[in-house]
Amino acid sequence: MSGQSRALLLIGSGKPVHSNSESLGGYLLSCLARRGFETQTMKVPRTLRAQGGLATITEEVRQASLVILATPLYWDSLPAAVIEAMEALAEDRRSRPPQNHQRMVAIINSGFPEARQSDTALAICRRFAKETGFEWAGGLAMGTGGAVEERPLDQVGRRVRHVVRAMDLTAEALALGEKVPEAAVGLMAKPILPAWAFVLYGRWLWPRWARRFGAQRKLRDKPYAP
Amino acid sequence: MSKKVTVLDGSERGDTEVARVRDFLLGELAWAGGEARVLDLCDLDLAYCCGCFGCWVKTPGACVVRDSGAEVAKAIIESEATLYLTRVTFGGYSSRLKRAVDRIICLGSPFFRKVDGEVHHEKRYDQYPNLIGVGLLPEPDEEAEAIFTTLVGRNAINIGSVHHAAAVLNARMTPEEMRVSLRGALARAGVTP
Repeated sequence: MSGQSRALLLIGSGKPVHSNSESLGGYLLSCLARRGFETQTMKVPRTLRAQGGLATITEEVRQASLVILATPLYWDSLPAAVIEAMEALAEDRRSRPPQNHQRMVAIINSGFPEARQSDTALAICRRFAKETGFEWAGGLAMGTGGAVEERPLDQVGRRVRHVVRAMDLTAEALALGEKVPEAAVGLMAKPILPAWAFVLYGRWLWPRWARRFGAQRKLRDKPYAP
Repeated sequence: MSKKVTVLDGSERGDTEVARVRDFLLGELAWAGGEARVLDLCDLDLAYCCGCFGCWVKTPGACVVRDSGAEVAKAIIESEATLYLTRVTFGGYSSRLKRAVDRIICLGSPFFRKVDGEVHHEKRYDQYPNLIGVGLLPEPDEEAEAIFTTLVGRNAINIGSVHHAAAVLNARMTPEEMRVSLRGALARAGVTP
């Protein structure tokens, strides 16, 4: 491992307990811990809701040598809470420029099958890094993020073995002070389901999910119809 | 015929530069005969979307959180065009605007469809407003402009807009340059002829 070794995982998901972002980022963090990184995890929306949350995030980020943002894709971009934290970080770094070299990595998981739908969100992360003085160490985008089922990544099974491999390659590179390897980007983006199967899966999934709440016949309701 | 336009103002209180753009914009809409409804997002109570999918499987079409999210969603679906007004923030929207945008996922259906070879959500409603993104930068910035323009286009696909346009203004523009840019965007988005 080269240089400093404190990795901070920022989770962008607003889910209260487990999330796919946490599964993905957590696995990478555990790989880095095995390589000697000191690690820490913060859930961005939860931290922001707490008093002094923005200050907590800016201080933790300040002490990290590597910041990993693991987040779901929301409207081709990042969740509002993540952007709010980024705005605060940018402000903080303008007034108190960091003294240490810091790197940033982003992991975006999308509910759609195509990983490329996260390209704009990754561009926003890259741009944030550029504006705030982080070295951009690269981004990973995964489609069909739901396949992780909010479980520890190494317990999900064969369907995400390429994602596990992508994370292993990424951890290896980051520990050496290198950027996310292209091979990892490619593995991460590998489709889990073809688009046609994904569309069919949705027709099966949503009515069953809604049945738990007695809403299976209301799925196409239009409560705000003019 | 006047077009109903919902303006989501994603600026913070006291942001005089965005306020200036907003005045310009409302002037252009009035000139074009548009009927603007402005939502000052900084005055609304909007929680973060937590990604629970309750608006699809528990109370389909409406968010389970009872705050100003319903007002935003209703205003958008009732309009013929929706305009996002924001400072360009790392190429994207301000967090203030994004809070509102995140909360309108209820306007789509959970089911999927293919659009130009990509999977997106099916439409819940028969008609959706056209989308216009107006972003303000402190100075010209090609990279940020490109990200913003792409983002507005991608959002238009996801919300089901037939037409969309982005106008990226910067604080160095003259009033005439701003006017030309805004008029072009409004025309491309079908708000003006």
